[in-house]
Amino acid sequence: MRRGLTARLFLWPTVAFAAYLALASMPGAWSTVLHAVFPSETRVLYQQASMFELIGRTLELVAISSVLSIVVGVLLGILVTHGAGTDFLDVVTDLANLGQTFPPVAVFTLAVPILGFGVMPTVLALTLYGVLPVLQNTIAGMRTLPSAIVESAAGMGMSPTQSLLRIEVPLAAPVILAGVRVSVVVNVATSTVGAIAGAGGLGAPIISGLVNADPGVTLQGAVLIAALALILDAYLGALEKGAARAVGIGR
Amino acid sequence: MITFDHVTKRYEGTARPAVDDLSLQIPEGETVVLIGPSGCGKSTSLRMVNRLIEPDSGTVSENGRDVRDFPPEELRRQIGYAIQGVGLFPHFTVGENIGVVPRLLGWEPARITARVEELLGLVGLDGLAYMDKYPDELSGGEAQRVGVARALAADPPVLLMDEPFGAVDPLTRERLQSEFVDIQARLKKTVVFVTHDIDEAVKLGDRIAIMREGRLIQYDTPERVLAYPADEFVAGFVGAERALKRLSLAPISEALDPAVGLNDPKATVPLDSSLRTALARIIEFGVPVVGITDEAGNVVGSVSIESIVERFKRPLL
Repeated sequence: MRRGLTARLFLWPTVAFAAYLALASMPGAWSTVLHAVFPSETRVLYQQASMFELIGRTLELVAISSVLSIVVGVLLGILVTHGAGTDFLDVVTDLANLGQTFPPVAVFTLAVPILGFGVMPTVLALTLYGVLPVLQNTIAGMRTLPSAIVESAAGMGMSPTQSLLRIEVPLAAPVILAGVRVSVVVNVATSTVGAIAGAGGLGAPIISGLVNADPGVTLQGAVLIAALALILDAYLGALEKGAARAVGIGR
Repeated sequence: MITFDHVTKRYEGTARPAVDDLSLQIPEGETVVLIGPSGCGKSTSLRMVNRLIEPDSGTVSENGRDVRDFPPEELRRQIGYAIQGVGLFPHFTVGENIGVVPRLLGWEPARITARVEELLGLVGLDGLAYMDKYPDELSGGEAQRVGVARALAADPPVLLMDEPFGAVDPLTRERLQSEFVDIQARLKKTVVFVTHDIDEAVKLGDRIAIMREGRLIQYDTPERVLAYPADEFVAGFVGAERALKRLSLAPISEALDPAVGLNDPKATVPLDSSLRTALARIIEFGVPVVGITDEAGNVVGSVSIESIVERFKRPLL
């Protein structure tokens, strides 16, 4: 029987996402609740853009930087665990660790003079940040493959590319996807800092509320970003679970 | 025929070569068992046949052609490979696992399916029931059978088997060994088989190559290895019970006497048993001689403790 990814796995994340969008379409309700929480405040909602626009921009930032992080992280991870690339394993791991310790605000400060304000420096910072978990997990996934399986693939006459695409990557996929999940969720949270560089998104109400002393506006952005992170986490968790089932783990 | 000609392989950072000047001929259609303690170079030697490991010097050739003349992938698709831990791909069904090499060779899907069913039958599994199972739905013994079927998939003339029955319980292991002997009697592949189990070597091998620290110590038939161990090491390796192991290789016909002096009508053994079974019956019944029965149960002769001892005094060719 075929098994692995099934639509069922994605049912609850999809329900949650639909509810999230429905709530985002009701600014009136938000206003009522936030006024109740902060009765002394006059301004409790971000005015410069609708919640849909903010969510859309955040998803855009996260999507671009996550795709870049995944591509770079997976390719680098494969490269340094195969053939001559293994010589660079330590160097690459150290560099990725360094990237992780570098504060995103510092990346903006250094990148803005070169890339200008807006989306570009944010995507750069998020990408640098997102590579490490993907890279680490790709390396771990590749190095923990059972040697009997990898050797069988070679011994049966698969070329290195066939072995990689048909055997190694599919079998390491659950571990790699766990890294992708961490990377994406961290990216969602970190993307709010991008508002400082003028990238917009759900960071904008958080920063705006902070600057103008409007706690309601900050709370609006914070709730929306946290819920979005949870929903994406649930989606990627379902993907990870499906991949694990497909390779015979966790049934 | 596979020929090792003065083959040496040294791994970086080790004091002695893993394989040291190995010369060995594996005749067509025979099963040669490479055996020895861990680190004796048996697995390294096996892997040089399909170029998973390349020798530092010397040549490995198949039917007179250096294996390095073939591109590695092409070479490996013509050599069956089964290893310890089986190495079945967990995300492939049993059918897909067995069909890996045929698919690499570009066979038609219908031909692959037919071949998979045929092979599952050959290794004693019901094709239709097993084809769509996944490896984690199989018992250890079933997985090993699928491993053997996979190695045979493209009907390669040569099979490399690296402790293929290593990871199952003793009973299953013995059954798999017997089935392997039956299959090999029909298919007549050239088999290189690695094990550290002398009983397995004696049971499966047409010849046994005993290795130690990368060198070939003795290369002979199982019976001669047991009867004439080359040195103290081999004698120790085949064990103090080597006489009993030899008995298990000797058919009863080699010590058959007329049916006389039989006291206990129940003290009999079937004609197709080994002398080891006959000896066990002699001890069990506490008699000097046991009767031999044919398939119908008629006593056709006898074996005595003296005739067994006499049989052992005869030199082997």
